[in-house]
This record gives sequence, structure tokens and C-alpha cells, in this order.
Amino acid sequence: MLPAAVIAGVAGRLVRISALLTLPIAISVILVSVFTRAGTHVLFTIGPFDATTEGVDFAGQTLVRLFAISTSIGLFGLTTEPRSFVLDLERRGLSPRFAFVALATLEAVPAMVERANIIASAQRARGLDTEGSVRARLRGLLPLAGPVVLSSLTEVEERSLALEVRAFGKPGRRELLWRMPDSTAQLAVRAILVLALIAAIGGRITNTFPRLP
Amino acid sequence: MLQLSGVSYRYAGYSNEVLHDIDLRLDDGEIIGLVGPNEAGKSTLCLVASGLAPASIGGSLRGSLTLDGVPAAGLATHKLAERVVIGFQNPNTQRSGIAATVFEEIALGPMNLGLPVAETVERTRAAIARLRLDDLIRRDPQRLSGGQAQLVGIASLLAMQPRHVILDEPTAQLDPAGTRLVGEALRALATTGTSLLIAEHKTDLLDGLCSRIIAIDGGRIILDGPTATVFDDPRLAALGVEPPARARLVRALGNRGLEGSIVEDAIAGAAS
Repeated sequence: MLPAAVIAGVAGRLVRISALLTLPIAISVILVSVFTRAGTHVLFTIGPFDATTEGVDFAGQTLVRLFAISTSIGLFGLTTEPRSFVLDLERRGLSPRFAFVALATLEAVPAMVERANIIASAQRARGLDTEGSVRARLRGLLPLAGPVVLSSLTEVEERSLALEVRAFGKPGRRELLWRMPDSTAQLAVRAILVLALIAAIGGRITNTFPRLP
Repeated sequence: MLQLSGVSYRYAGYSNEVLHDIDLRLDDGEIIGLVGPNEAGKSTLCLVASGLAPASIGGSLRGSLTLDGVPAAGLATHKLAERVVIGFQNPNTQRSGIAATVFEEIALGPMNLGLPVAETVERTRAAIARLRLDDLIRRDPQRLSGGQAQLVGIASLLAMQPRHVILDEPTAQLDPAGTRLVGEALRALATTGTSLLIAEHKTDLLDGLCSRIIAIDGGRIILDGPTATVFDDPRLAALGVEPPARARLVRALGNRGLEGSIVEDAIAGAAS
């Protein structure tokens, strides 16, 4: 994973994100595993709890797996543009409606933030205090939330009409203009990863790889 | 041909009708301007003429809408979209919200129609050329000015190559140059046989573009006739509609005992 991140030029960010993703679970895993897991080799004792070697071993293995999962998710997020991902899924058979919902959701967030900023500026111009203490911010929230939500709902209705006008509801597949670049090297890497996945599953079924204690 | 016969319409949840006994016939290649004060029913008439009301937004309709002889009632919205399109006043809601570039935004409609890629690209390029949007094609549609977004919205409709186009204040956010550009594009579109119904406050645009003007108020047709006749009608001012500069100048000259044809000749000379 890390070599791939280095090649993609996102290694630093990936480690940071993965650590952040793993940290909350890691803390609870360490506390629960190290101090509650039964074992014969006691490393040290805190009150009624014994930290055992077996617990440390189990926590270590769990953390490695957690980190592997979080780096996978992180690497995917850092190297894959959501829009390209969804459109490529549509090319591979995903319903255009589902693709639209996924894309529109992704696009809606920055649009709502922008609208909220505009409304906040307008409300400030009319004397609403939206800055300062937490209390002042909370007081200013309600006059902002109403217009943001209502204008978003109105826009959704008009946008759905505009999409209907552009034949969005037409059943069947549509020929997409976009094609993700897919080099031979990428195809080869994907094939290797699929083979590795099959090998991992096979290894687990045949008990070739060790299980957690 | 798009035809509304005896149409009255009431929005869902409302007890009163907002359109009353509207008869309107839009022939192929014809451009009709729709004027009237705010809340006269222009936008509602546009929605009804596009088939979206009541098909998509609900409400109840009396009378009928036919598109090229085919009753619109019962047609699926994507079938309607193959015949008639509507452009809304707010270009932000016209935007799909899923396209990364202006080119993709304009191509979305033809793509949804299930056209082959080559035809989608051809139609998109034609619409871009018609509204001179070449400089914008790689831009993010969410990062356009109001006027640019309006042009992109209109181009998105033109790329569908519909038989009938309904436009609700298509130049509301455009500067004079953009307004002229849209006027030229719509005039060129009409020469291909596409019919247009344009609700617009800018009567100068309609004056040079439309062969017929319909003025409505309170959901009823008040005036309906050739462009010059309606714009010269003194009842128009009572509706709160400002006649185009040409009509006002002719009237002002007439009030001073001068011949209005001087203006007509001057305009004809300038145009040629």
C-alpha cells in the first residue's frame, strides 16, 4: 500500500489520514486487549488489570489489520476522483439514476456550503451576529438554517424538472462520453491484486496463513 | 406544431385556477413572445406548454396540449423531452450538478436521449458554436457567472434539437451583447423549423425576434396579434409592460405630428 502511495505522491497524507482513522479504534483496542486478554506472561499491573504479552500480541495484530484497512480506504479516497469513479461504475452497468444520486450528493455539499455563506453574508448585512462566542453563533444558526434548507429544497424541485426536460428519465443505457484511462500497467496490477485476493481467501480456507491467537 | 386548446390550469393544493381558457397555436418555425406583468401566469403557461404541468409538478389541467398532433397527456416525460424542452429563468437550477465541464453539461441531454457518442458530440459542438461558448467548454459549470450560466443552459437545450422550445425569461441575467447573441441563436434555430415560445420582459428582444406577441394578465390572454400591432397597442402599458424602444419612439413622434415610418425606415436601414 505504502509503495503505491509513494508512487501516487500521497504517502505523507495517507499516513496522516490512516493514523487519524485508526486512532480512536486503536486506543480502545489497546486498552481492552492489553489489559483484559488472558495470558501467562504478565508484563506489568495497574490496579486490578494485568498487561499480558498475549494481549500486546493480539492488539498489535489487530492494529496492523486496522491500519491496513484504513490505508486502503485512504489510498482509494486520495487517488480516486469520486465523479470519475461513479461514472466508470455507470459504464460498467450501474443505473444512471443511482449514479446521479451519488454524484449529486457529492456535488451538493460544496454548493450548500457556498449557499450558506451567501445567506450568512446577507444576514450579517442585516445585522445578524454570526460570529463571536459559541452562544452568539448558536443564536445566529436558526436564521441561517431555514433559508439554506428551504432554498435547497426549492432548487432540488426545479433541478429535477430541468433534468426531466433533458430526458434524464429515459430508460435504458446511455452512451457515456467519458472513458477512464486504463493503461496496460493498471490492468496488470488489477489482475495481480485479484489473484492475490483469491490466494488470500484460498490460504485462509486451507489454513495456510496463521490465524489470530 | 404545438397547440394548447381551451387550457385552464390549477396548481396542486390550490383552489383557484391560474390559467383560464388559453388557446395558443405555435407553428413550426414560428417565434411567439409572451409578455405580461409579474404573476400574470407566464411561467405557468410555459410549464403547461412544455407538458411538465401537470405531468411532473401535478395540479389539474382542463383542455389539451398536443405536440405535432400527438396529445401530450399520458406521454412519459422523456418522450415529451424528445419533442419539447423548457428553459427556466434561474440558470443555476438548469444545471445538472453532475457535469465537471461545460462541454459535459451541454452534452448531458443528447447523451440521455441515448444517442451514439459521435452524434452527441456533434450536437454539443453545434450548440457551443451557436452561442459562441468555445472559451468556456473546459470550465466548471458551477463556476460561471449568471450570464454565462444562462447561455450554457440555453445551449444545453439547443443540443437536444427539439421541435419546440419554451423559454422562461432566457436573457434575465444577460448583458446586451449576450441578449443579442441569444436572439441571433434563437432566430437561427427557428429557421430550422423549431418553434419557440419566449416569455420575456425585454420587449426590445421580442420586437426584433417574434412574429407574434401574446400578452397575458390574470391567467388570461389579453392581447394576441402580430408583434408591431400588440406592441403599438396602448392597452399594453396598462398591463405594466413597457413597449420596445421602437414602438415608444414611433408613438412619441406621432404625438408630435411626425411620421412614425421615419423610425421604421431608419431601423430597416440600420438592420440592412
